[in-house]
Amino acid sequence: MDSLREREDHQELNIGIDGNLNIDNLVDDKVKFNFDIEKDSNGTVLGREEQLGDKDMAPMAGNSIHRSSSRPQLDLSGAAIQGNFEEKDPTILLPNQSDDISHLALDIGGSLIKLVYFSRHENHPFNDRRRKIIKARLGIINFNRRSFPILGGRLHFVKFETSKINECLDFIYSKQLHRGGMDSRSWQSEGPNTENTVIKATGGGAYKFADLFKERLGISIEKEDEMNCLVSGANFLLKAIRHEAFTHMEGRKEFVQIDSNDLFPYLLVNIGSGVSIIKVDGDGVFERVSGTNVGGGTYWGLGKLLTKCKSFDELLELSQRGDNRTIDMLVGDIYGGMDYSKIGLSASTIASSFGKTISENKEIEDYRPEDISLSLLRMISYNIGQISYLNALRFGLKRIFFGGFFIRGHAYTMDTISFAVHFWSKGQAQAMFLRHEGFLGALGAFLSYEKHGLDDLMVHQFVERFPMGAPYIGGNVHGPPLGDLNEKISWMEKFVLKGTEITAPVPMLPPGTTGLGGFEVPSSKGDSLRPDASKLNVGVLHLVPSLEVFPLLADPKIYEPNTIDLSDHGELEYWFTVLSEHMSDLVDKAVASEGGTDDAKRRGDAFARAFSAHLARLMEEPAAYGKLGLANLLELREECLREFHFHDAYRSIKQRENEASLAVLPDLLMELDGMNEESRLLTLIEGVLAANIFDWGSRACVDLYHKGTIIEIYRMSRDKMQRPWRVDDFDIFKERMFGSAEKKPHKYKRALLFVDNSGADVVLGMLPLARELLRRGTEVVLVANSLPALNDVTAMELPEIVAEAAKHCDILRGAAEAGGLLVDAMINIQDSPRESSLSVPLMVVENGCGSPCIDLRQVSSELAAAAKDADLVVLEGMGRALHTNFNAKFKCDALKLAMVKNQRLAAKLINGNIYDCVCRFEPAS
Amino acid sequence: MEGDGTQDLKHCDRDDVSHLALDIGGSLIKMVYFSSSSGCSSDDQINGYLKDGFDVSSGTSNHRVLRRKLHFLKFETSKISECIKFISSKHLQYGDQDDKDLDSDKNIVKATGGGAFKFADLFKEKLGIILDKVDEMSCLVAGANFLLKAVNREAFTYMESQKDFVQIDHKDLYPYLLVNVGSGVSMIKVNGDNDFERVSGTSVGGGTFWGLGRLLTKCKSFDELLELSHQGNNRVIDMLVGDIYGGTDYSKVGLTSTTIASSFGKAISENKELDDYRPEDVARSLLRMISNNIGQIAYLNALRFGLKRIFFGGFFIRGHAYTMDTISVAVNFWSKGEAKALFLRHEGFLGALGAFMNYEKNGFTDIGHQFMQQPSANKSSTHSDVQDNGCIECRVEVRD
Repeated sequence: MDSLREREDHQELNIGIDGNLNIDNLVDDKVKFNFDIEKDSNGTVLGREEQLGDKDMAPMAGNSIHRSSSRPQLDLSGAAIQGNFEEKDPTILLPNQSDDISHLALDIGGSLIKLVYFSRHENHPFNDRRRKIIKARLGIINFNRRSFPILGGRLHFVKFETSKINECLDFIYSKQLHRGGMDSRSWQSEGPNTENTVIKATGGGAYKFADLFKERLGISIEKEDEMNCLVSGANFLLKAIRHEAFTHMEGRKEFVQIDSNDLFPYLLVNIGSGVSIIKVDGDGVFERVSGTNVGGGTYWGLGKLLTKCKSFDELLELSQRGDNRTIDMLVGDIYGGMDYSKIGLSASTIASSFGKTISENKEIEDYRPEDISLSLLRMISYNIGQISYLNALRFGLKRIFFGGFFIRGHAYTMDTISFAVHFWSKGQAQAMFLRHEGFLGALGAFLSYEKHGLDDLMVHQFVERFPMGAPYIGGNVHGPPLGDLNEKISWMEKFVLKGTEITAPVPMLPPGTTGLGGFEVPSSKGDSLRPDASKLNVGVLHLVPSLEVFPLLADPKIYEPNTIDLSDHGELEYWFTVLSEHMSDLVDKAVASEGGTDDAKRRGDAFARAFSAHLARLMEEPAAYGKLGLANLLELREECLREFHFHDAYRSIKQRENEASLAVLPDLLMELDGMNEESRLLTLIEGVLAANIFDWGSRACVDLYHKGTIIEIYRMSRDKMQRPWRVDDFDIFKERMFGSAEKKPHKYKRALLFVDNSGADVVLGMLPLARELLRRGTEVVLVANSLPALNDVTAMELPEIVAEAAKHCDILRGAAEAGGLLVDAMINIQDSPRESSLSVPLMVVENGCGSPCIDLRQVSSELAAAAKDADLVVLEGMGRALHTNFNAKFKCDALKLAMVKNQRLAAKLINGNIYDCVCRFEPAS
Repeated sequence: MEGDGTQDLKHCDRDDVSHLALDIGGSLIKMVYFSSSSGCSSDDQINGYLKDGFDVSSGTSNHRVLRRKLHFLKFETSKISECIKFISSKHLQYGDQDDKDLDSDKNIVKATGGGAFKFADLFKEKLGIILDKVDEMSCLVAGANFLLKAVNREAFTYMESQKDFVQIDHKDLYPYLLVNVGSGVSMIKVNGDNDFERVSGTSVGGGTFWGLGRLLTKCKSFDELLELSHQGNNRVIDMLVGDIYGGTDYSKVGLTSTTIASSFGKAISENKELDDYRPEDVARSLLRMISNNIGQIAYLNALRFGLKRIFFGGFFIRGHAYTMDTISVAVNFWSKGEAKALFLRHEGFLGALGAFMNYEKNGFTDIGHQFMQQPSANKSSTHSDVQDNGCIECRVEVRD
């Protein structure tokens, strides 16, 4: 048992899913215009835009959000080739080309400047014919982004120290964020017109620095009310982000699912320099009921005076190694080590913060700065917790959300606040924290733009991604922006080389045209690779309006995609080991898929480092990126690959296997056609299970490839299959299909088949099953990934495979024609869906993700549309049927088929062994 | 009937001390002792009364009134040896002469505060006295109740340097919130005599002021630090609303530009070291931070229980005008004028006084009880007044 290397675990590719769009391979934040250079015969250098495939240039009359109409062509002024001119494909920098940014909002506080900006991504030009047919077939009208209130894009969160406001200004300038104001005037103007740009901002600095912004960037700051912003930011986060709120007690972090219908009223405590305590009764309905001047500024201010720390983070970090007992007067100190139990005070309760420094003849230098910092932190956190609780009590509020930059995901701070709330409320009230704690105000300011459309978005339309810098940034303040891929790679290299000495990357000259938020110097000089476990990360928030909740879920509210919960440490370790061991193989494949060039190798190395850093980060703090399930982990890897421009590492392998499988398909179909209905159905299901053995994610399976031809392995695998399988509902399924003495045969109207791997798995397993359903008059929708994930077949690739298979099979041909999958049949269908066709249709839809697993809360709108008439769901493969959705309940019949190619999973899930099979049939619930 | 047997005790010229009670806190030792106000009263005489009072527990009611002084003293806990020296020099430890005649083996002194536990051995060793530990909260409450009922002009408000004594109607005293600001802060809801509950507290108290203040200013004593704060300007260090809003108010939520947005917040953004700040300013800022915080938490607790009166006591306050002002402003601000902060003249001695009151329970003359009842029984027959020299002269009715 080569248990590792699950195929399914590698497969995941999930991308910024936008049902319609967006494949930008790129790192997310950086939208840079990276051009491959092609030399034509005249030696002219042509730029080919790689990442923004905006093919949809139709003017959007009346839609001020849409910017295509005003979007300039690429701005080539100042273009320069970056790096060595001898390189084959040097990157060209276009310093004057802006990101496709729509808007920017700021929260300029006393200590920190928080910045939220939105970068829009144009649709992937994926409006292929298949899609049009599907739309026609599914009756989807106007199926494009125009029908959504907001465009897909990304929300980025960046922060700076207010005392270094110039860094912030440079950042804005280098990313040209100030040129894309939301003001409709600038949308329509010819090119960016900074004169008119108005940027929303909140926080006191919005007043104080207004002139500076005008002078340096030529932008006007429009001040938004601070409380208003905080509240709308918090409301937005609590409603839109699935794992936004969590409790933190005794070092344990637990995410809390907030029912957005039961959110109000709550108490919002924003801990910035000072503290505001706000009672929130609804959207836009709130009151600042209290506050305290003892806040983050006090901690830092006093801390700075007492310890000579240079930054807030340094001070916070110090506290981790502190012991407050040397400073604080404890109850035990007063009572000679005894408790004052009569009133419930234990000996270790702090009686008086800093009280011990009274009685000793020590100077400030005689105390360890670590201890001072901790004592200060406890004093302030505890005090805030107490005052907050007292206010919650006043209004009978059970939930207190703490946000603001003081907290910074610092475990001890949160623990102390939680303790205070818990202690004083005797467990009746709960302190909760927000992952985007520091960005409430900025987000609120952002939301105050009139036409952002975000209010209409639902939680399932957000996907948060963690770019490569995340483990390094670790929640810290950003430094200068990091530009393109090359910069990222060099940064990774430098980071690893120089180890502890690393400094923030120096921005390229001229300032990078794009950039990932940028990286902070790892906060601690000593062990910079050790991300501070107490820090939270905030990823880039992808807004994907086309995502929908899969309509056939029995109860979306209780649906949890992950079968394996990685909060179990043993489980976590196991999967981390699996992923780590698989890394080198994956890197080899990825590099090979890009031609094995030196550049590909560099990227491969950088990918490996970045992904390892993610793993290390998560190993230290599993909840760093929100609730962690196996699906998230697998998806992260695919994201990371894409970040380093590996778009389809398994491309050639997939192709080879598809060809080999298609070659033997006719024989298989002939064999099947010779059987009677009942034994054919069994053989087909066996076939699906048998073909699922082909899996590049499983080393056990990979070894098999060397032992025979695909059809041989397939047959062997099928023949070896002994019923009953470990989970064997086949007879129930058969009865459902064919009926029995008491029941009539059931004819499904439409079946959704979630396919898995390329090659034998789909060609010899799922296609024949699809064919059988079609033959019985059931419409079949093949549901495949939007983006590559390991060797999973994608929705882009499927039509070709089906077309090839159709050459040998009338059933498939007719159905494929009816479903618009055959190129030559398409013209007819496009005009009017051919209902007259004799065949029921075979269709292909994309699922909206790029991962081997699938979270059915976030699927493409075309899948959602296809699901409307479906009465059978077939989930195949470990990723979609076991790692995720094993326990999912549907409104219609569901068949879950998979071969378990991992010993641990087999033992855990079905109490079985590797290569055991699962055939689970669940009637509609 | 109580009136019948009262007799005046002659004054003694010399401070002839008797009962001693201690409140040994984290920072300070508070001492209350009782002396005849003149030297003529002999131990025998006292003992006679005491013995009578003790023995005659039933039957005729025979009352005499002793005219005596309650003395209030404090020492720094870190200099406990001074305290011991003082007790020794005054022979305070022999105050309870009657003990010799009773079955107790040693002199017993009532004490409260954490130090009563911590320093028990020290007292025994140095002075041969046994500290009888009395619960701290009970003492605070008993002390406060005593003062509020027995002493005229004990409670006062302090707003904008204006001190106004408040006449407390004894019948309408309860419930109230008692905030004792010692090294730490205890907040006690008092419902009646001996009926109370510690409802809250905070570790940010006098100890914090002094502790942080020492680290920041190198002051040698609490009083020095307080004195410094008097001359300081907190705006140098605190981040005000105006600093954030470029000098304007944030009027929407009722914050003026001079409201402190963040205590010590200004120290963040400036490249200054501790030495670059004036100790006066640091002390001021610290004082405001702590006073304001205490006022706020106290108000929130009063609100919780619907208490209109909040009495602040404890050694942090020390009659320091600015401290009281800040606390008052905080209470006034947060309660929108609904609640008032009241202060006690004997703020620091609540615990010690309460410990002192506690003697009754051991059979000693029912001083506290009689003392407190007297004004209501017959106001003209008893006077108690606070004297500037730190003692209360009073008549004590002793029941025979």
